[in-house]
Amino acid sequence: MAAVGGLERCLRVAGAAAARPERFLSVQDGLAADFKALTKILYDLSKARGSNVVRGSPLKELVIESFDEEQIWQQLELQNNAVLDFFKKSIVRDANDEDLCLLSDPEDDSSNAEASSDKELEEDIMETETEQKNVYTKDKTKAKEKQSKPRESKMQKYSDDDSDVDFDIEELEQQTEIAKKTTSKKLQKKSIVDDKFFKLAEMEAFLEDVEKEDRGEEEEGINYFEDILSDDEEEESEDSKVKPIKSSRDLTYKDFFDPVDDNDELVANTVEDGQEEETDSVTEEENEESMSEADEITEIMTENMRSKEASKKVTFSLPDDSEIEDSIDMQSEKSIDPIEIKSSFEKRQEKMNAKIRSLEEELLEEKPWQLKGEVSGQKRPENSLLEETLLFDHAVRMAPVITEETTLQLEDIIKQRILDQAWDDVVPKEKPKEEAFEYKKRITLDHEKSKLSLAEIYEQEYLKLHQQKTEEEENPEHKEIQEMMDSLFLKLDALCNFHFTPKPPVPEVKIVSNLPAVSMEEVAPVAVSDAALLAPEEIKEKNKAGDVKADAEKTPTDKKRERRKKKLRKRMKLREKERRQKLLEKMKPEQGTKLSKKAAAAKLKKLTKEGKASLLKDEGKDKVLKSSQAFFSQLQDQVKMQIKDANKLKKKQKKQREVSVHKLKL
Amino acid sequence: METETEAAAAESGFRSVSSKRSRRKRRAGGGEEAAAAAMDTDAAGPRPGKRPSFPPVAAEALRVGNEEIRKVPVPANRYTPLKENWMKIFTPIVEHLQLQIRFNLKTRNVEIKTCQETKDISALTKAADFVKAFILGFQVEDALALIRLDDLFLESFEVTDVKPLKGDHLSRAIGRIAGKGGKTKFTIENVTRTRIVLADAKIHILGSFQNIKMARTAICNLILGSPPSKVYGNIRAVASRAAERF
Repeated sequence: MAAVGGLERCLRVAGAAAARPERFLSVQDGLAADFKALTKILYDLSKARGSNVVRGSPLKELVIESFDEEQIWQQLELQNNAVLDFFKKSIVRDANDEDLCLLSDPEDDSSNAEASSDKELEEDIMETETEQKNVYTKDKTKAKEKQSKPRESKMQKYSDDDSDVDFDIEELEQQTEIAKKTTSKKLQKKSIVDDKFFKLAEMEAFLEDVEKEDRGEEEEGINYFEDILSDDEEEESEDSKVKPIKSSRDLTYKDFFDPVDDNDELVANTVEDGQEEETDSVTEEENEESMSEADEITEIMTENMRSKEASKKVTFSLPDDSEIEDSIDMQSEKSIDPIEIKSSFEKRQEKMNAKIRSLEEELLEEKPWQLKGEVSGQKRPENSLLEETLLFDHAVRMAPVITEETTLQLEDIIKQRILDQAWDDVVPKEKPKEEAFEYKKRITLDHEKSKLSLAEIYEQEYLKLHQQKTEEEENPEHKEIQEMMDSLFLKLDALCNFHFTPKPPVPEVKIVSNLPAVSMEEVAPVAVSDAALLAPEEIKEKNKAGDVKADAEKTPTDKKRERRKKKLRKRMKLREKERRQKLLEKMKPEQGTKLSKKAAAAKLKKLTKEGKASLLKDEGKDKVLKSSQAFFSQLQDQVKMQIKDANKLKKKQKKQREVSVHKLKL
Repeated sequence: METETEAAAAESGFRSVSSKRSRRKRRAGGGEEAAAAAMDTDAAGPRPGKRPSFPPVAAEALRVGNEEIRKVPVPANRYTPLKENWMKIFTPIVEHLQLQIRFNLKTRNVEIKTCQETKDISALTKAADFVKAFILGFQVEDALALIRLDDLFLESFEVTDVKPLKGDHLSRAIGRIAGKGGKTKFTIENVTRTRIVLADAKIHILGSFQNIKMARTAICNLILGSPPSKVYGNIRAVASRAAERF
């Protein structure tokens, strides 16, 4: 009793609210509170009644006090989710059950053109509210009934409008229904051109039907997309959808198309309504080409195909599709006098003109930035270059992109090289030996302490001496092969290298020992000769200057030449010395100054000042000093002078003393 | 012939003495028939025209006395190096030459002795030379060559043997021989394949005969006053000629 009372109250409140929908234009807090209370009552009611079929949420009652909408909704969701799954399954089961009649369903799918928006809204509200109430199987049927009623009314409305075409359409619909319901469909005749995809009779029927519609009035330009969507919502809300939602990866042919033999599968998947629209819009491509009134047909077909759902068929997408759609749009926009039927030529003309117009407009418009020549960053949208594929020349060779692959490849190469022992070692450069002089074994002086001990040195010598016998002789064939290969590679290198430098010619070294020629050359000498094989110059090198001349034999030019040479040598030596001195001064200042001329002069000055040394003055006696006789005679003179002076001094002293005696007055 | 001589002798009053040979021949001739076997027996004793045959002497018999000892004195400055290198000295002598060696601390001598195991008579001399070379100042590895090779010799002389130098001149001469950082000495060593020890005024050279001669010439030239570059040129020429000969 309380339950019924509660329900009645709910209905009353809901009806009152719905009666004055204009109130909902503004927020109604009072009504919101009422509705909340309502939902609580309904929820509690449903929970109280309990169910042995399905269990809802564990919440026994809906808590509203100081709860947010979100929280209330989550509580409801908890209840609904638990129950929805159960109902989906049961619906599928029942839908598959052939005993139950769902006559109105396919028509509902197709007749979505006539659903009025008001009705939809109403239904929606009712659905949401009844959803909470009716979660049982019997309620489900009630809901279905509710649904079927509006649909039937829809259908009626539809039929009212198209009276003359009604019959045919209904017939067609029934036909399609039957086709779907029964496995055997063949009401139509069979022709020779029939195959899995194409049935001539079907096509003709379809075309007739379209023609008739074409003659008929067209409905108000209703937006068919909306209807379909709303249809979908209906479907979903009624829990009739049983098909699991597939991700795009799992879609197969049978999701889009019926099986080719027109077997009946229940059209439970109405998700593809949208798709079907498109396909249907293109369905008549094949027909269009064969028909003369193709344009008319297509434009009407596309509009009507959306309204009535035929079985899914394989369709072909051809490039003319967009054109047709354009033309259709044009047509629909251009509210023509529908009674007047245009000739095909006129129609074609119109189409052409429309196309021309569109093209002209395009040309007059401003071009997109891509076609505008030099475009700076400000003139084009942000990051627009990222979406373009650009081609440009690279001036420099791009650095290789290091990816994991390249690194792995590189490492493989390295490993292979290590295994092959093919190192890229630097080959030491060898100075080419140009003179025969260089071939003479010259002992290089090593100024460092020898690393090997004496014993080891003698050991090595001994081994060298004795191992000459065990030297393996080169196979003459190997030699020949080596030579041939060398010449071949030389030629190949010359061909393929841009920077080819030919190897210097290898001089042939022949060691000639200075034995008498006889023993070397001839076995049976014609005339005995004991001339040695080597010329005297080859034994001992000749002086570059030629024969050594004694002083008496030298000509004046020789003497002058020698003098010049001597002076040159002296000059070079002096320069070397100066250079070394400078370097020394720079590197080690103390050591350098010791030996320089400036230092010596400074020292001399110092010494003379101190009195430790006295400079010999040049009194013009140098000439005299050149010969030893003169020198000694001078020396003698000097000494004599000194003695004289000394004597004079003595005499003076003596004289002084004498005077003193005189003074004594003895 | 015999009768003539006898007759002549008898005439002159001299008594002719026949030589032993002839006497033996006569005796032999007389007893020819009977002494065929006797000749054989006689052959055992020393006979003219037949060498005595001796069997080869055993090694032990050659050794005069039971053991021989060589003593090498050690100056104080070589005491520590001897201690450090004792193992290296001791090992080849004992193992390869089979001699006995010890260092007498009281007398400061290295004593080397033969023993039962010694097989080679010349081993003792070699060992003594080896130790002496080390004591003079050569490295152990260089001195070891004396043991391994037969024809290495050791020569010593003094700077004043070459030219009487005193004081600074002597020092300068020694400096010329050594060179800056031992450069000149090492150069001579490397070219002539010898080892040189320069101990104040004494010079010791270790090497083969020809090499010692080359090195000695070079050092004498340096003492006498020629610059090192000249000496280098000379030894290089000599050495290359010597090498070419072989």
